[in-house]
Amino acid sequence: MSEPPELRITRRAVPTSAAAMRHALRAFLTALEWEEDAILDIVTAVGEALANAIEHAYEDATEEAREVTLYARAAGDGLLSAEVRDCGRFIERARRPGRGFGLRIVRSIASDVSLETKDGTSVRMLFDTRKMHKAL
Amino acid sequence: MSDLRVIALHGELDIARRDEARFALRADGDVGAVLLDFADVTYADSTILSTLLVFTREMGIRGVPVAILVGTPQLARIVQYAGLSDILPVFNERSDALTHLSEGRR
Repeated sequence: MSEPPELRITRRAVPTSAAAMRHALRAFLTALEWEEDAILDIVTAVGEALANAIEHAYEDATEEAREVTLYARAAGDGLLSAEVRDCGRFIERARRPGRGFGLRIVRSIASDVSLETKDGTSVRMLFDTRKMHKAL
Repeated sequence: MSDLRVIALHGELDIARRDEARFALRADGDVGAVLLDFADVTYADSTILSTLLVFTREMGIRGVPVAILVGTPQLARIVQYAGLSDILPVFNERSDALTHLSEGRR
């Protein structure tokens, strides 16, 4: 039995890395031949987690520590688990007046979302393409 | 519509282009209505939504209607996912956007 398709990509946590990591995810999902609507939404949600990590996580960190990792793993039946991990500090959305849409967007798209803030921040997302798009 | 301002952006609007978007979407000058022509925008993230929200609110205080013309469904959908559909007026057709502006002008 072959292993489930996986994507793992690590980049410096700088703003220009977000697009490169989204493009890699899009190429990965396109290779799975999933529907364009599902790809669009998954890239949107993961893009929010990436943007949040890049924007907030490293404000106090040294240059050497500025990395963000995206890991995605496809399972059968249209399921995808994805994780965005950084080693910076988590900043609660209440401290950012006028912001905070990112996590709301992620939660609107993903079937399940969990955050872990030990030794950095990890945002884990589960996408079920069979249940997506029905909220709109 | 003689005092219509059209602001066009293109490509992927994400955290890397936040400052560019903020500069483009500054509420200055005397204008009757604003069309944000994002027909060639292929991706937008929440950092851009925040900029759009601030701009739309500032123009609203001045009584200036704003319409956002989109080309990709991603932009329309992220507005919905963020719960901003009632605040950010998004249109798929230019004619609908212009009608919205005509009806909302001072």
